[in-house]
Amino acid sequence: MATPVMMPNVGITVETCVLTKWMKNKGETVEEGEVLFTYETDKSTLEQEAPVSGTVLEIFFGEDADVPVMTNVCVIGAPGEDVEEFRPGTADKKEEEAAPAKQETPAPAAQQSAPAPAPVMQTGFIKASPRAKALAEKRGVNLRFVSGTGPDGRIIERDVFAAAQGSGLSCRESGGAAPAVEYVDEKMSVIRRTIAKQMSASLQTAAQLTHTLSFDATDILAFRKGIKSGEIQGYGNITLNDMILYVVSRTLAKPEHRALNAHLLENDIMRYFSGVHMGVAVDTDRGLMVPTLFDCDKKPLNKISEEAKALAAKCRNGSALPDDLKGGTFTVSNLGAYGIEHFTPVINVPQTAILGVNTITTQIKAVNGGIQTYQAMGLSLTYDHRAVDGGPASRFLSELKATLENFTAFLREQEG
Amino acid sequence: MPKSQFVNPAPQFEKRTISLKDIPVCAYDRTLEEEKANYTNEDLIGMYADMAAIREFETMLLTIKQKGNYNNKEFTYPGPAHLAVGQEATAVGQAYTLDVDDYIFGTHRSHHEVIAKAFSAIKKLSDDELLKIMQEYNDGKNYEVVKKYTKSNGDVKEMAREYFIFGLCCELFAKDMGFSRGLGGSMHAFFLPFGIFPNNAIVGGAAPIATGVALYKKCNKKKGIVVANAGDGAAARGPVYEAMTFASMDQFNDLWEDGYKGGLPIIYNFNNNFYGMGGQTKGETMGYEEVARLGAINKTGMHAERVNGWNVLAVIDAYKRKKALLEKGEGPALLELVTYRFSGHSTSDASSYRTKEEVEEWQKYDPLTAFPKQLAEAGVATAEELEKLNEAVIDRNRRMFDLASDLSVAPYTDYSEHPDFIENVMFSNKRIEKMDDRPVEVNQTKEENERYQKIAKLSRSAFGPDGSLLPKMRVYNIRDGLFEAIADKYYEDPTLISYGEDVRDWGGAFAVYRGLTEALPYHRLFNSPIAESAIVGSAVGYALAGGRVITELMYCDFIVCSGDEVFNQMAKWQAMSAGKLNMPFVLRVSVGMKYGAQHSQDWTSLCAHVPGLKVIYPVTPYDAKGLMTAALNGTDPVVCFESQKIYDMGERFVEGGVPEGTYEVEIGEPAIRRQGSDLTILTIGPTLYTALEAAEKLEKDFGVSAEVIDARSVVPFNYEKVVESVKKTGRILLASDACARGSILNDMAQNITSLAFDYLDAPPAIVGAQNWITPASEYSKEFYPQVGWFLDAIHERILPLEGYTPQKSYSDTELLRKARKGV
Repeated sequence: MATPVMMPNVGITVETCVLTKWMKNKGETVEEGEVLFTYETDKSTLEQEAPVSGTVLEIFFGEDADVPVMTNVCVIGAPGEDVEEFRPGTADKKEEEAAPAKQETPAPAAQQSAPAPAPVMQTGFIKASPRAKALAEKRGVNLRFVSGTGPDGRIIERDVFAAAQGSGLSCRESGGAAPAVEYVDEKMSVIRRTIAKQMSASLQTAAQLTHTLSFDATDILAFRKGIKSGEIQGYGNITLNDMILYVVSRTLAKPEHRALNAHLLENDIMRYFSGVHMGVAVDTDRGLMVPTLFDCDKKPLNKISEEAKALAAKCRNGSALPDDLKGGTFTVSNLGAYGIEHFTPVINVPQTAILGVNTITTQIKAVNGGIQTYQAMGLSLTYDHRAVDGGPASRFLSELKATLENFTAFLREQEG
Repeated sequence: MPKSQFVNPAPQFEKRTISLKDIPVCAYDRTLEEEKANYTNEDLIGMYADMAAIREFETMLLTIKQKGNYNNKEFTYPGPAHLAVGQEATAVGQAYTLDVDDYIFGTHRSHHEVIAKAFSAIKKLSDDELLKIMQEYNDGKNYEVVKKYTKSNGDVKEMAREYFIFGLCCELFAKDMGFSRGLGGSMHAFFLPFGIFPNNAIVGGAAPIATGVALYKKCNKKKGIVVANAGDGAAARGPVYEAMTFASMDQFNDLWEDGYKGGLPIIYNFNNNFYGMGGQTKGETMGYEEVARLGAINKTGMHAERVNGWNVLAVIDAYKRKKALLEKGEGPALLELVTYRFSGHSTSDASSYRTKEEVEEWQKYDPLTAFPKQLAEAGVATAEELEKLNEAVIDRNRRMFDLASDLSVAPYTDYSEHPDFIENVMFSNKRIEKMDDRPVEVNQTKEENERYQKIAKLSRSAFGPDGSLLPKMRVYNIRDGLFEAIADKYYEDPTLISYGEDVRDWGGAFAVYRGLTEALPYHRLFNSPIAESAIVGSAVGYALAGGRVITELMYCDFIVCSGDEVFNQMAKWQAMSAGKLNMPFVLRVSVGMKYGAQHSQDWTSLCAHVPGLKVIYPVTPYDAKGLMTAALNGTDPVVCFESQKIYDMGERFVEGGVPEGTYEVEIGEPAIRRQGSDLTILTIGPTLYTALEAAEKLEKDFGVSAEVIDARSVVPFNYEKVVESVKKTGRILLASDACARGSILNDMAQNITSLAFDYLDAPPAIVGAQNWITPASEYSKEFYPQVGWFLDAIHERILPLEGYTPQKSYSDTELLRKARKGV
């Protein structure tokens, strides 16, 4: 009896995975437990083992295909067995095949001609009329990038026309005189697409603005130096970022700042969290990832440090699970290592704020009538003005500054 | 009401009494000895033979139903068996006097009447006539079987009896060799060549139909009388009273022209076996004491008599006298024949309603025992001769049963080979311009007729030469279209008659018939009693007897007063006869809009739901004339819906207006009234004009180009044009004035979705009237589809219109809410 192998369902929010590499070709034999193929979710690269031993009778998707989860991707069995009953529906397949060339359709372009909100890539079930679907296929329009203006947001014929027009697809045949420009079309990775969706959604929905200040980093630098030299005992390899996570989480946990440790949901609902679950932005080869350090405000500095390092490592080696990447209530993004002096971080909606950490610069200040240099570190707080006003946001930032400038004392007070 | 009859008030108030005529009861008192002078021995023995044939036939069914075999052969018959064991003499007495062109109608319990009438006809037809009938019926298939297996030794009449028992068995056993190829069965058996008309499974259902056949005989001067058989239980049924009232109309004598005077030649024959199923009519469920009292319905007392139905000679005597009355034009007549059934109502009857003693007491008088005894006593035949005769009858029945139950001789209809078998007999689809060739009887030429003269002065288009709308009074309208089609047919088909409530003098409640009163004699156009069952039922009879008929029910809402006649009779007889009967009958109903809940309903959906009716709804003068002409040239039952909203509507679509000559609009073909590219609107009825207004607004205010299609017919319906349009536009809204729930529009929407799903940009939307009672006309804007409703439905369900704010909600929530609430 032939056994189909599905693209696994790796997390409740994952709808498709990219099949990255086949480790076995059609016709090859495979042992139970051997790696059959690798695949990529929006955050991780994972391996799928063969559930049974046998011959790979048929492979339904090539490498790089974006496959809906719980869809058969191949069949293992004895040579000669029928595989047709396992073949995924042709309609789905067509959509998958049609998808790549259109991913780069610049979404905002459709906005100009469609009487609808700016299109955002939709995931999951797409509500489109049969007529719109047929037209989209004919005109090469990816419905995932089409905004529906029909009843209940259904994509109707006119939306596809608008999208086709906006993307220039409808007149792509008419060129000829234009100088040849060399370029390469590459499909965006799943992670890239997720980031694109998340970021554009953020900028479209949240009323974002950024406050910046810098604090005197003398104390935290001294603390780190003390650990390195052994003067201060009991702490591991604490980074500046760990200290910032420590202070930020404790500050956020205070009731007066709850609006910054919150989600702004649809229907004007604010969700306030009792714990601080810190999103820690990590730069990886595949793109930005933000694992969550849960209950950060309740964890001692050493624990924060260990967990932050472990999460970053998981992200960089691709083994982070989708659930590691959810649930954050506030995000810290540190670009200090790159020498960035100031930036405007983009909120990870539905969170209401994000703190950007900048590089350390040497500043001067007046002391007793003379000029004195000191090490200063910049903080950029982007917040959603819908959720919180400038006053409270500024008070939060000021409090961070004050605490960080007196980090050693604060730590002693907290941990004894 | 005719002005020729003066309703004088004074006599109405005079003191007097009304005396009813005495009703004879069992008046016949002659002995067999006395009757020997009037009958040959052969006649008398023949009566016994026929009674014995019936007894054996019914015994056969009883045995099959109870024991699963007959003549030592296992056989199953799942159909109905309402047996008449005990009622044989009643039937044989009735049939004895009747000629071949005297017709009988029966009930669910009529095997006995059918066999008796057949054997009577066989005696009266010549051998050549019998052979011709047998060779032609069912393409001679049955004849071939009987010819091969007959034991008649060259006796054509005996072979004809074999032929009949074989065909009747086949019909009951649903065999392809049944008289109606098994589509009728036990309760609907008939055989026209022997004057046996359809039996009816609806109690009393045959009375109005038989009345219509009597009307046909009268209006077309055909020989013969009609007998409407019924049981005593049927005496409670409204349609039976309506039929007797219709047959008793004074106008037959007082108003109809010479040559057509006299009452209808029909006998309402009640076989009183004392039970309506298990309910005892006398003493329990009725209060008439004797059925014969019902003759009080007219001034002759319907010549009613109560007769001993168990004395075959008494029945013959009664029939001879009644037939003579009818032939003198003194019909109708009513006979109550006292009889008794030993068998149950059906074979599932446990006789819980009567005692064994009662049955045993009646058995003492069983004609099958008493009559042969009398014959022997009177020296007509010896007991041995009669017993031998009985054995021969039983043997014949057994042999015919063996043939009919043998699949190699009489197979079932092969539906796998002929899947369209019933499909092909649902409609006759013939085109017969006139049902008879004789000259038409009219009082004037068309040229002399005022209505024709008036129409000649009208513009046949709604628009003047400059393209502007002409005043309504100057324009040929829908009324004129209907009139012209009907009047033209009156001058062509001599059998065409029309009647209904106030069609004469008044000219029809909505003036369609104005002018016809002057043109036509009474027998071709007359007012009927307010008796919808009789109006429709009699028209069914008139049509299946061979005439063409139009009746009018005034308001569509009255359809249900003739529910059985429209849905069970008019719709079904063509197919139940396997195509042997035609139904050239047009039923006109008018849809109101001003008189509230019982005078304002569009019931096209009800008519469309019941298979067998063609349903048309013309809403332009061109279609009114063309569709009515097509209906009148056809041979199928057509319900023609007319809207009171637009009787005065001129022709707006056909260039050059409505042609003067005759033409047909094919039934089933919709018409595109407005070209468009973005949305299709399909309408049934006058909603077309609302849809056109909506289309204009859509174009002007929202740049949406709507194509508007007028269904014109509901059954049949050709979807091609609509599907082609939807493939182009991708969107469709369906609208009519009928309440939306259960509207045929939903059925059409479903079919269109199936046929054009991949082309649809939204599911079809339905705009119908509210699922309410119809309020007073002051609130008609709240009830019937309005222009705004079209836009609302389009905006919310199909294509949101920019900047449009809907007035009436067509949202999912509203749909769900209303459905939950039952509105």
